[in-house]
Amino acid sequence: MTAFRPLILQALQGLARDRTVAVMATLFVVLVLISAWLGWSATTTVNAIYADAAKFLAESGQPVPPNPVMETSPLALFRNLSIYVSLIGALSAIVTGFRLVATDRRAGVLPLIGSRPLDPWTYAASRLVSLALAMAALIALAAAVSVVTFLILPGLLVTGSDWLRLTLFFVLAWGFVMLFGLIALGATATARSEAAGVLTPVSVWLAVTFILPALTGNIHPTAAINPVSALAAAPDTAFFHVMGSLFGPLSVAESFKFLSADLLRFLPDGIVSRGTLPPLPALLLALAAAFAFALRGLSRLDLTKGDFDA
Amino acid sequence: MTDAISTIGLGRSYGATVALHPLTMTVAKGEVFGFLGHNGAGKTTTIQLLTTLARPTTGRASVSGHDILTDAMAVRRSIGYVPENVRLYDTFTTRENLLFFARLSAVDDPADRVTETLDFLGITDLAARRVSEFSKGMRQRVGLAQAILHRPEVLFLDEPTSGLDPMGVKLLRRVIERLNADGMTIFMNTHLLGEVARTCTSIGILSHGRLVFQDRIDAVSHLYGNENALEALYLSVLPEAGRAA
Repeated sequence: MTAFRPLILQALQGLARDRTVAVMATLFVVLVLISAWLGWSATTTVNAIYADAAKFLAESGQPVPPNPVMETSPLALFRNLSIYVSLIGALSAIVTGFRLVATDRRAGVLPLIGSRPLDPWTYAASRLVSLALAMAALIALAAAVSVVTFLILPGLLVTGSDWLRLTLFFVLAWGFVMLFGLIALGATATARSEAAGVLTPVSVWLAVTFILPALTGNIHPTAAINPVSALAAAPDTAFFHVMGSLFGPLSVAESFKFLSADLLRFLPDGIVSRGTLPPLPALLLALAAAFAFALRGLSRLDLTKGDFDA
Repeated sequence: MTDAISTIGLGRSYGATVALHPLTMTVAKGEVFGFLGHNGAGKTTTIQLLTTLARPTTGRASVSGHDILTDAMAVRRSIGYVPENVRLYDTFTTRENLLFFARLSAVDDPADRVTETLDFLGITDLAARRVSEFSKGMRQRVGLAQAILHRPEVLFLDEPTSGLDPMGVKLLRRVIERLNADGMTIFMNTHLLGEVARTCTSIGILSHGRLVFQDRIDAVSHLYGNENALEALYLSVLPEAGRAA
């Protein structure tokens, strides 16, 4: 495994210099910042209105109701984050997974790597670990922004349980973006052309994010990018019952949004997950399948050839 | 003298297409072996098999005494390989590329070895430059550097002079001579008869995946006379080359 470390270092160094990866990562972090700012703005506005109302009520001798900000979980401030993770986070993972293999294939260095004393499993493992580390760094950036937001927002009561839930949300987000990164790794390793390498995971992402929720729960694309309307109950018709049973377990974006809403405490009352499989096992199964797909593709990568076919 | 390369019935087919018919040959240690043949003769396939990049469909071979099938890792530790079109990480500098390959080959003190190798090849001035700025000749020299970083016993060069200007060819020849003087065995695929005559100590000629000739260069000169001996040999063993000429 001597070659393992240099392969990972090279991959991460290459990603750090990749403009597309940098743009996607920056976009993701900017959106997380916007999400935090929206939460901060809403909270301070409500606090200001409450302060004025409380002052007026106190002066007129009427009872002062509790501050509504204190009645909802502070975690709900980050509800937009679940959407950004499923949109830009997943796309960043696709770009990262694609670049991790496409750079080697396009650069034509694979035969040079293949003539070194390392087996295909070492190369495959290095790409998987590089993806995991890159996605962890991306999610860690989002987590850092969220933690800072929590610490600087006035009047928020954040409990130990909230911190735990927030941590679990970021672990979940990491797992969700890894799913798409792994599909991109596997697709890019097996695709004959560069275009197929990137279009395959993007097509899967489109299907999972927009098509399956429409089939299983009548969630239209515009609703799918809203954290609350994406969780609306499915119409009570035979079509959606059948579709929910058939495609519910595959609709992993819905599973992710359901679990996110549960962890961040903004899951509307009475909403239950669709499909025959609970959301967490469905996500874990999808992740395991994506891992197997990536491992299979990477371990079978032809090290004698450098380029994609024309 | 122990053989650096030995093959017994080594062959490779891709479906119904035979890229290399069973090949039996030896290359002694310390030789500069020129492997000649037309395009598609099977030269690159042979190198891919010997460097363990591809698996043979028939036969076996050993490089530096290690079996390519049962001891591929030992083979890889003992070889250097320069493909026909050297491609490296464009966003990395020469030094960064070489450090990567040195670490991949588990070289002790990779930074020092990279400096030594750059110095040996006279390309220290390229160290801090990004590979994306390089001409084919410059890439070829960096490609050669990555192949000799770990001081391999056998160096495989696939069409090393392809696309090089006369100065580049001359520099490469000098490097090959110096490496060979240090005891390195060189296995070189090429089209250029003149280059083989100047650089190689023995040759093999491949035609349509079959070895049609193998001997030492001095024996060729003895057989065909000194002047244009190699050309005469080439035309005699590859009649289609003579017709094309």
